[in-house]
Amino acid sequence: MTIPASADVASVTTPKPRSGSGSRSGPGYRGYVLRKCLGALASLAFMIVLNFFLFRVLPGDPARTLGRGRFRTREQLEAFNRTYGLDEPLWRQFLTYLGNLVRGDLGVSLRYRVPVSQLIMDRLGTTLLLVGISTILATIIGVWMGIRSAWKRGGLFDRFSTGGSLTLYSMPEWWLGLMFIAVFSVGVGLFPTGGLHSVGVDPWSPAGWLDVARHLALPVATLTLAYLADYALIMRSSLLDEIGEEYVTTARAKGLRDVQVRDRHAVRNALLPTTTVIALNVGFVVTGAITVETVFSIPGLGLLATEALKVPDFWVLQGAFLVASAAVILANLAANLLYGLLDPRVRT
Amino acid sequence: MSFVAGAAGATEPEDNRVTFTVGLTNQVDSFNPFLGIEAESFEMWALTYDYLIGYSMEDMSPMPGLATEWSTSDDGLEWTFDIREDVLWSDGEPLTAEDVAYTLNRALTGEVESATWGAYLDGVDEISAPDTTTVVLTLSEPSATLPLIPVPIVPEHIWQDISEEEVSSYAAEPSSGEPIVGSGPFRFVEGQAGGSLYRFEKNPDYWKGEPHIDEVVFRVYQSEDPAVQALLTGEIDFIDGISALQVESLQARDNVMATNGDSPGFDEIAFNTGAVDVETGEPLGDGNPALQDQAFRHALGYAVDRDLIIDRVYQGAGQPGISIVPPAYSTFLWEPAEEDAYTFDLERAGELLEEAGYTLGADGLRTMPDGTPIGELRLFARSDSKTSLDTLNYFQEWLGELGIESSVTSVDSSNLTDIILEGTFDVFQWGWYVEPDPHSMLSYLTCDQRGDWSDTWYCNEEYDTLYEQQRVELDEDSRVDLIKRMQEILYFDAPYLVTAYSTNGQAVRSDRFTCFTPQPNPGGVWLMQYGAYNYLNARPTGTATECPDGSEVTIAGGAGTGADGSDGGSGVNLALLLGAGAVVVAAGAGAVVLSRRRGTAGDRE
Repeated sequence: MTIPASADVASVTTPKPRSGSGSRSGPGYRGYVLRKCLGALASLAFMIVLNFFLFRVLPGDPARTLGRGRFRTREQLEAFNRTYGLDEPLWRQFLTYLGNLVRGDLGVSLRYRVPVSQLIMDRLGTTLLLVGISTILATIIGVWMGIRSAWKRGGLFDRFSTGGSLTLYSMPEWWLGLMFIAVFSVGVGLFPTGGLHSVGVDPWSPAGWLDVARHLALPVATLTLAYLADYALIMRSSLLDEIGEEYVTTARAKGLRDVQVRDRHAVRNALLPTTTVIALNVGFVVTGAITVETVFSIPGLGLLATEALKVPDFWVLQGAFLVASAAVILANLAANLLYGLLDPRVRT
Repeated sequence: MSFVAGAAGATEPEDNRVTFTVGLTNQVDSFNPFLGIEAESFEMWALTYDYLIGYSMEDMSPMPGLATEWSTSDDGLEWTFDIREDVLWSDGEPLTAEDVAYTLNRALTGEVESATWGAYLDGVDEISAPDTTTVVLTLSEPSATLPLIPVPIVPEHIWQDISEEEVSSYAAEPSSGEPIVGSGPFRFVEGQAGGSLYRFEKNPDYWKGEPHIDEVVFRVYQSEDPAVQALLTGEIDFIDGISALQVESLQARDNVMATNGDSPGFDEIAFNTGAVDVETGEPLGDGNPALQDQAFRHALGYAVDRDLIIDRVYQGAGQPGISIVPPAYSTFLWEPAEEDAYTFDLERAGELLEEAGYTLGADGLRTMPDGTPIGELRLFARSDSKTSLDTLNYFQEWLGELGIESSVTSVDSSNLTDIILEGTFDVFQWGWYVEPDPHSMLSYLTCDQRGDWSDTWYCNEEYDTLYEQQRVELDEDSRVDLIKRMQEILYFDAPYLVTAYSTNGQAVRSDRFTCFTPQPNPGGVWLMQYGAYNYLNARPTGTATECPDGSEVTIAGGAGTGADGSDGGSGVNLALLLGAGAVVVAAGAGAVVLSRRRGTAGDRE
C-alpha cells in the first residue's frame, strides 16, 4: 500500500495519517490484527446461529407452498416433510445444520432438490462477474469524477457530473435497465436483451468470452451508472475537506504544479474515507443486484435468495445469507486491517 | 402465409439447424420426474419422456400413449394396458412393459416418489408386467380416475441404480453433453434446475414421427417486459406467461400471433365457513360468524359483478366464473338454471340478507340476526398477484353498498397459507388449476381436507358422500351426474364464489414458426399443454407444406391485423425511444437544478 508522500508535511500541520518506518510492523499493529480477527470470528459464529433461526420464523410451510394443487393427501405432505427433514423438532434440525456445516454441506434446496452449495457455486461466478466489474468500474470512474469535480468546484464539469450522477443514483435501476434494452437491444440491435450467454457457445473459448461480454455490457453499464454517485460524492467531499487544509497551501507555496499538489498531496489523504466505502461495498458484491439480475434475467445470487423467500426454501436462504454475511465480515476485516496500516490512530 | 426472412433481426443459424426458442417466465424446479412440481418441469418431462396415457387436444380426455389399448375387469379391480412394442430409449434399449411397471411401482411405493405421484394411484395394490407388452394394475377398490396416470415413464436400466436415499436430491440433468435417457420426442442435452437456459435436441427415431425442428431451447426471463422485447428482436420465437395487456399490444403486430389461451383453472373469492381444530372439533381462529351461515354467503353471490371483474381486473382475458370445473372440461361442466345464476344484483342480495335476518340498522350497517353488529370483514389479497388485490378492492366496495364493512389486506401467499390454517380470516382471493379429471379439485372441499388442503374449512356430509361415490363409480355417465350434483351443492353453499376462469398469455413469431394446435381446442393454449403435441407439430413458416390438422387449427402466419402495414420493430420502439429520451432530459434537468442549488449554497466553511 502506498504511504502518502506528503506525510512529512501533513504531520506538521494536522494529525493526518502518518507513516513511520516502524508503524507497519509495530507491536501495536499485531495486537490490533489479533483483536480484529477475533472480532470477525465472533461475528461469524453469531451469524451462523442467527442464520438458522432467522428464517425459521418466516411465515409459510414449504411443503404447502410447493405442493399446492399438486399434492392431494396428507400422506403426500408428510412424506415430503420426512424426506427433507422438516418433520424433526427445531433443535434437531439445528444440530443437523451445524453438523452439515462442519462438513461444508449447506443442505438440499427444497425447491430445486439439489445441494445448496452447488446452486450457490453456480451463481457465485455470475454475480462476482456482474457486480464485481460494475463495482470496479464505478470506483475508478467515480473517484476520477470526484477528484475533478472537487478540484474545480462549481465548474462546468462539477455541475454536470454531480448533478448527473445524483440523478442516475436516484433513478430506479430496473427502469434504467429497461431503457437500455429498449435503445441498445431493440432499437439499435447491438446487445441481447438478457441472459448470460448464447446457446451453443462454449463459455470458456475466446468466442464465449466475447459472447458473455456482449451479454454483460448493458447490465454492467446499468449497475455502474447506479453506483457511480456513491464514489463520486464521497471522493468529492473528502477532497474538498483536504483542499482547505494548510498543508495544501504549503505545497502550493513550495511552487508545486497544480496537478502535483492534487495527486501527490491532497488526493492521497482524501482516499481514506473512499477506501472504507469501497471495502464495505466489496463485501456486498456477493449479495448480488436483485433488480438488475431480474431485468436482464441473469441468474445470480440475489435472484436465488429472493426466489427462495417465497417458498420459504430454508436451506437456500441460510446458504445464501451465510455466504453474504461471511463476505461482508471478511471485507470489513480487510478494511479494518488496511485502515490500521494507513492510519495508526485507529489501532488504539 | 408470409415468409419474412430475417425480419426484425432474426438470425438464421449458420448450419441450417432449425432452433425453436421459447421464453419462459418461470424456472424449472427439477428435471427429476419424481421431484418437480412447477408446470415448466412438466413441460420438460413431456419432451423427454412418454406417458402411459395421453390427453386429447379437444378436451384432454384420455388418448393412447405408450398404451395402445386398455381394459378393466367388471368389478373395476384389475386394469390391463397393452404397451407399444416399437419404442426405443435414446440409448438404444427397447422400452418395455417392465419399464412402465417399474416406474409406476416407484411412484406407488417410494417415499419421495409417492409424495409427488401417490394420489394418482389411489386404491392400487400391485403393478406388474406379466410380459413385455402388458401392464396389469391390481386394485383393492375401484378408481374412477384411471386410466389417467400422468407419471413420466423412466428407463429401469438407468433408474435402478438410483436408490431411495439418492433420489430425493437426484437432479436427472445431462453432464458433458450426454443426453438424459428418455423415449420422448426430444432429448435433454443441456441445462440445470433453477438455471436460465435448457436445450433439447430432436429424437429422429421418435415413434410418432420425426419432429420438424432440430432443437428446442428454453430461456427463462425473470420479468415480462424484457421477454417481450426478446420476442420482438427475434431472440426468442415463443413466449409463455405474459399479461393480457402485452397480448393486446402484440396482437397488433403482423409478424406475431398472440392469445389469451384458456388454461383450465379458476379464481375465486373464498370464505371462512367455520374453522375447527380437526382433532378436538373445537372452533379455531376468529372467523366472522356471519360467513358460517350459508344464507349469508349465498346472498353475497349476487354482490359480485363478474363481467366487470373480467373487464377491469383481467383486462378482458378470461371468462366470468361459475363453478369449480372450468368449461374446457365439457364432460363435467355444470351450469345453474337461469333463475339461480349469480347475476350482479345488489338489490336481490340485499333482499336475501333481509330475509335471513341481516337487517339494516339506523347507521346504514347490517346487523346479525340477533341484532349485534356484524363487524368488519377481513379480506386477504395475495401480494404476488395484482388481480387478487383488484378483485377484493371491488368486492369491498360492493359489500359497502350492502351495508357490510370490510378491510383489504395484502399478504404473501405463504403467509396467507398460515392465516388460512389458523382460521384468522374472513375472506380471501386465490385460484386453482384443475386437472383433466376434477377429482383432486373436488377433494379439496371435503371435510377430510380441513387442516390440509381445504382453504375454506368447508364441510358438508352430502357432498362428502357424493365424493366417495364418484371416486369408485366406473360408469362414466353416472359419475358425471354425481360430479354435477357436487358442483350444484357447492354453488348454493358458496364456500367459493368463482369469479373467473383463467387464461395464459402466449405469443409466437408467426413469421418464423407455424402449426400450433390449441388445447383445449378451440380457445386453448399453444404450449404448456398436457403433452408435447405442438413440439412435434411446429415447423418453420414457409417451409411447411401443410399443417396436419387443417386450417381451422392452424395459426396462419401474418393473419393478424396487418392493416397499418408497419413492419415489426418501429411501433413500440418509438415509445421506448421516447422514454429513453426522457432519461436524458431528466438527467440533464437534474444536473442543472443541482448546479443551481450548489451555486446559491455558498461555501461550506
